[in-house]
Amino acid sequence: MLSKDEQEKYARQVMLKGFGLEGQEKLKKARVFVAGVGGLGSSSATYLAAAGIGTLRIVDHDRVELSNLNRQVLHWPADIGQTKVGSAQSKLKQLNPDVAIEAIEEKITRANISQLVAGCDLIVDAMDNLPTRYLLNKAAIENNIPFFHGAVYGFEGRALTVIPGKSACLRCLYRGTIPEEAFPVIGVTPAVIGCIQATEVIKYLMGIGQLLTDRLLVYDGLNMKFTEFKIKKDPDCPHCGKPAKGKK
Amino acid sequence: MSVTINLDGLHQLTSGQTTVKTVKVKGNTVGQCLEGLVKQFPKIKLQLFDKNGKLHNYVEIYVNQESAYPEELAKAVRDGDELHIMELVAGG
Repeated sequence: MLSKDEQEKYARQVMLKGFGLEGQEKLKKARVFVAGVGGLGSSSATYLAAAGIGTLRIVDHDRVELSNLNRQVLHWPADIGQTKVGSAQSKLKQLNPDVAIEAIEEKITRANISQLVAGCDLIVDAMDNLPTRYLLNKAAIENNIPFFHGAVYGFEGRALTVIPGKSACLRCLYRGTIPEEAFPVIGVTPAVIGCIQATEVIKYLMGIGQLLTDRLLVYDGLNMKFTEFKIKKDPDCPHCGKPAKGKK
Repeated sequence: MSVTINLDGLHQLTSGQTTVKTVKVKGNTVGQCLEGLVKQFPKIKLQLFDKNGKLHNYVEIYVNQESAYPEELAKAVRDGDELHIMELVAGG
């Protein structure tokens, strides 16, 4: 049940077609897993908290560094050396005290991922490396949890929504990997992509609009273009295809 | 068969080599089109293919904005088609 303050706080989005107080209750009941509170996670978690998602479970094992501050806007100079989840939790709670923040300072691994995502309705992929993204994708498929992928490089960003059992997954899209290394990025890029991920989460929870399923959205900030690429479920996908069981 | 290859997604691969965004090539398959690209930009070869001539698994090919996987190099193209070559992006 929304309090009077909540009804006033969310009044402008409750006005949206297909939203209403009933829709706002759906957001309040949702528990969203945000994997990583770096650039993408700062943006997506901020707008999910502002929208009134009931619970955000944020997971990250890093600590705030000075070189993060050009893009990871939940973290400020005074937070340097602090855990990212602690720093993010503090800002998100200030932004919206009605949102429960479950802050978990852990590295996401094959061993703990099932436990970490347990009880969550959705997964936002805000990681910075492909191996962990693949782990999350697999866990999403196995646990039938919608998965919201985002990634950035420089002025370019990509987003894809995965509905297990229905649409192409991250492993249908990508088969390889790339080295984990410092990559060039300007803060506005994860801001854009994180907002797209948050938009997809809200649409999914509300059951409105058209999701980014089977469509890879590529944002090119330098040329200010959005391009869509069609992708298909791969019947041989190691995560969501028929022979998926037991594969990496 | 004239095909346009869009290189916007090759930010890492083409860095220092070219600022060209699109290249016109001729070919009946994706593979032939990429051969045409390599002729114009020889250094791209090692960045697109492994030593056995297989496309690196971090390179994605799209024909008219649809994934060329799994045919990839063998996928037929037609006059006026547009290829996008993109590499994986994983930053967050």
